[in-house]
Amino acid sequence: MTRIFALLAGFCASSLSAQDMPAMPVYVEETATAGIDSIYAGDWQYMVGGGVAAFDCNGDFKADLFFAGGEAVAQFYVNQSNVAGPLQFARVDSGLEVDAATGAYPLDADSDGITDLVVLRVGENLIMRGLGDCRFERANEAWGFDGGDGWSTAFSAMWEDGAIWPTLAVGNYIDRTEEAFPWGSCTDNWLHRGGAQGFEAPLPLTPSFCALSMLFTDWNRSGTPSLRVSNDREYYKGGQEQMWRLEHGVAPALLTAAEGWKPLRIWGMGIASYDIDYNGYPEYFLTSMADNKLQRLVTETLPLPAFADVAFSLGVTAHRPYIGENARPSTAWHAQFEDVNNDGFADLFVVKGNVDQMPDFAAEDPNNLLLGRPDGTYAEAGSLAGVASTLIGRGGAVADFNLDGWLDIVVVNRRVPAQIWRNTGASGGHWLGLALSQPAPNTAAIGAWIEVRRGDVVMRREIAVGGGHASGQAGWWHFGLGDLTEAEVRVIWPDGTEGAWEMLDADGFFSLSRGQAAQSN
Amino acid sequence: MRIMRHGLALVLMVVLNLAAPAARADAAAAEEVLRTWLRLTLELVRHTPTYTPPVASRTFAYVGITAFESVASGSDQLQSLAGQLNGLTVLPKREVGQAYDEALVLHVALGAVVTDLFANTGPTGQRALAAVTEQMRADVVADLPADVVERSDALGAALAGHILAWAATDGGAVIDTMGFPAEYVLIDGPGHWVPTNLVRLQQTPLLPGWGTNRPFAMPAGTTCSLPPPPDYSEEPGSEFYAQAQEVIDFKAGLTPEQTAIARFWADDAMLSMTPPGHWVAIAMQVMDRDQAPLETRVEVLAQLGIAVADGFIGCWQAKFDYNLLRPITYIRRVMDPKWEPLLLTPPFPEYPSGHSVQSAAAAVVLTAYFGADFAFDDESRSEDGLPPRSFPSFWAAAEEAALSRLYGGIHFRAAIDLGLDQGRCIGAYAAALQTRNQ
Repeated sequence: MTRIFALLAGFCASSLSAQDMPAMPVYVEETATAGIDSIYAGDWQYMVGGGVAAFDCNGDFKADLFFAGGEAVAQFYVNQSNVAGPLQFARVDSGLEVDAATGAYPLDADSDGITDLVVLRVGENLIMRGLGDCRFERANEAWGFDGGDGWSTAFSAMWEDGAIWPTLAVGNYIDRTEEAFPWGSCTDNWLHRGGAQGFEAPLPLTPSFCALSMLFTDWNRSGTPSLRVSNDREYYKGGQEQMWRLEHGVAPALLTAAEGWKPLRIWGMGIASYDIDYNGYPEYFLTSMADNKLQRLVTETLPLPAFADVAFSLGVTAHRPYIGENARPSTAWHAQFEDVNNDGFADLFVVKGNVDQMPDFAAEDPNNLLLGRPDGTYAEAGSLAGVASTLIGRGGAVADFNLDGWLDIVVVNRRVPAQIWRNTGASGGHWLGLALSQPAPNTAAIGAWIEVRRGDVVMRREIAVGGGHASGQAGWWHFGLGDLTEAEVRVIWPDGTEGAWEMLDADGFFSLSRGQAAQSN
Repeated sequence: MRIMRHGLALVLMVVLNLAAPAARADAAAAEEVLRTWLRLTLELVRHTPTYTPPVASRTFAYVGITAFESVASGSDQLQSLAGQLNGLTVLPKREVGQAYDEALVLHVALGAVVTDLFANTGPTGQRALAAVTEQMRADVVADLPADVVERSDALGAALAGHILAWAATDGGAVIDTMGFPAEYVLIDGPGHWVPTNLVRLQQTPLLPGWGTNRPFAMPAGTTCSLPPPPDYSEEPGSEFYAQAQEVIDFKAGLTPEQTAIARFWADDAMLSMTPPGHWVAIAMQVMDRDQAPLETRVEVLAQLGIAVADGFIGCWQAKFDYNLLRPITYIRRVMDPKWEPLLLTPPFPEYPSGHSVQSAAAAVVLTAYFGADFAFDDESRSEDGLPPRSFPSFWAAAEEAALSRLYGGIHFRAAIDLGLDQGRCIGAYAAALQTRNQ
């Protein structure tokens, strides 16, 4: 039989019959009216990065937004949206107006109940203490955080066993002083371990291979997260994707080939993680150029860290634009699994954008919105849903900005303003918004797992700080429930303690505090 | 960062303070120009997404020819390749009795050709091209009379323009979608190539038309044609089955040395300087070690580039003529569904082995220059964490490179043995070029 591979634009996960297409969310772009006008500006040193941080800084439960500005000053916007109303933000002076920012990740580092912010920069990184009411102050000196002088492009954080302060991992890119021969000049990543009063001096995570995304994740459910690092092969020599094992009080150690770690060399740019097949172990979507990977742990060979690439079979390679006439390959950056149509199946949003006038890659490269289907495959819906922007995307966040239970989207673009879309809903679909808290330290329970029963499956997500592309979030954790009007929920806390299953009514926000019954918000 | 740093500083010191002969200083400066542009070319090959091995080989040919013609234009020893290479007409000449700066002519010509051939490289490559162009120029033109600068600039630009115009007509100038066609009809039959990996872009084979490109020194892509590979058969006891069994047996019994050999010569696109770049790096190492004169350097680089470029044209012509499946496809279908090769299987037909063809072609040229028993060390993979390897001759290296594909599980024996044969044939055309005035 003769087979013709017609790999023109439009042939990918989008070639579906109508009955195969999940419920379609309807996004309305509100960039022009939402009050956001941030631009990720700058030339070569800002070809990567371009992150946004989404978190509540004033206690109104709505996610406010910090935008890295590159050469421009970073901007902070307070969320003034009415519930279920149009998205509305107002720029405020917050103390976060710094230049050279590439990205940011929120976390409550000092466990005072107020979210702080780590700002990655070209130059000195900053840890900004949250003061409440959306005000921040530099805390590098107070907390012993050595911001260094690098080109920082990745971040993740966790609390090691028994630690008062979090352990921060910072990924760094190339030596920016190398002009003619920068290849092979990847600078050290840093591990800032939490000490008694703040942070210890950073440890170099050698070898380092130009990290563009990092994620502390309990890939084998051992109870101790490892550090997954996605690296840009454009600049390393002898490098590959990495996984660092971190045991409390022990020097970090790379998983090796002898332990079963298989080399993978991609233009690693972003990590998204979710247990999409309900087997208890997270899958990892790794963004790259011309090809994206979806890694599934081969559980049959545990404890070996073996992963199979299932991107092709599940339809999430997202390797070419799916609209327009251009067959040139795509460039992917931020990625995030979330259930945007509340059908109970995690979807995947991928931000796309040419690096910088690279003619072999699509110049007009639409963002992907891949909708999860019951059989585990994905359907491209970016265009139909209204988020197929072809601007030069980098970072992003999928979050419910107007607290209506439907996840909205913000994307940072290079050299042009960021964009924001309001999700006006899909047909049917119930949901839950959940927030975790526990006594200090680690008030937001980073490292916990939330489990939600839906029929005969348990949906679960790992509560993490990190991943994506230079973009972090804190606040509500969202679950779509499909046609369920109530669902059983429990938390496995960071120390492994299993909370009780509780039945919660759908379509509401709940605070899940350790040792207490869920509280409706 | 200063590009030429120690090398040129030394040259200038020699010129200004020690009153060494100007011609010798000129040559040393030109050698540094050549070394820097070749170094950058090797990096850009690795870091420009369209630069798969065939594309890289073409660029090494044009860069080598540009260097050769630049030097030959002012040399009473060297003879132009115009009229010897397919389609290359007489190049611009120097004005009689006028002074030129050898380093500047070479810098301008190489700069223009490399910048053009890598016009599609990314922002970091563009930044590097600009940095090398500007910084090395500043070093080269320092203290040169204005009229010499003007004449040298003009000549370098004219030579580059002539070569680029010629290059534009060879059939290999435009690479779409990283070399993997959007549409391709797979050939019917169990013995034919099918995709071997899960990369969506690579479900069509790399550059199926490359074998029809205009070759440099050999008359046509079919000039060194090969006999067919063993008849396809799934019968145990058949020659084809036995070849596959040999691949399985090697994988099962790989020694640490064989594993090291496979990885040393893997030369994967985007992760290395590619197989033709590996041979250019070898040539650069031995010529630096032996302080080869400028004329020899450009001769070797031109003929080596031509040999590997013609090697890929001839090889690709045969690959898509026979369109043979890869070991991974046959073995998983017929013998062991879970079999894994050591190396990543390249996304194009199997027969003959490209590395074998071009390595043999390279060995022909380098042996012609340096002799049959020329021992050398190859440290070109050190930055990737691979230790140096030592070879008693270029042929020993070529044969090891060829055999590495068997150890790696990506080729059958026939593709290696007959690939070396094809490379010998193709390399002879490059080696036969007349580069010296008689």
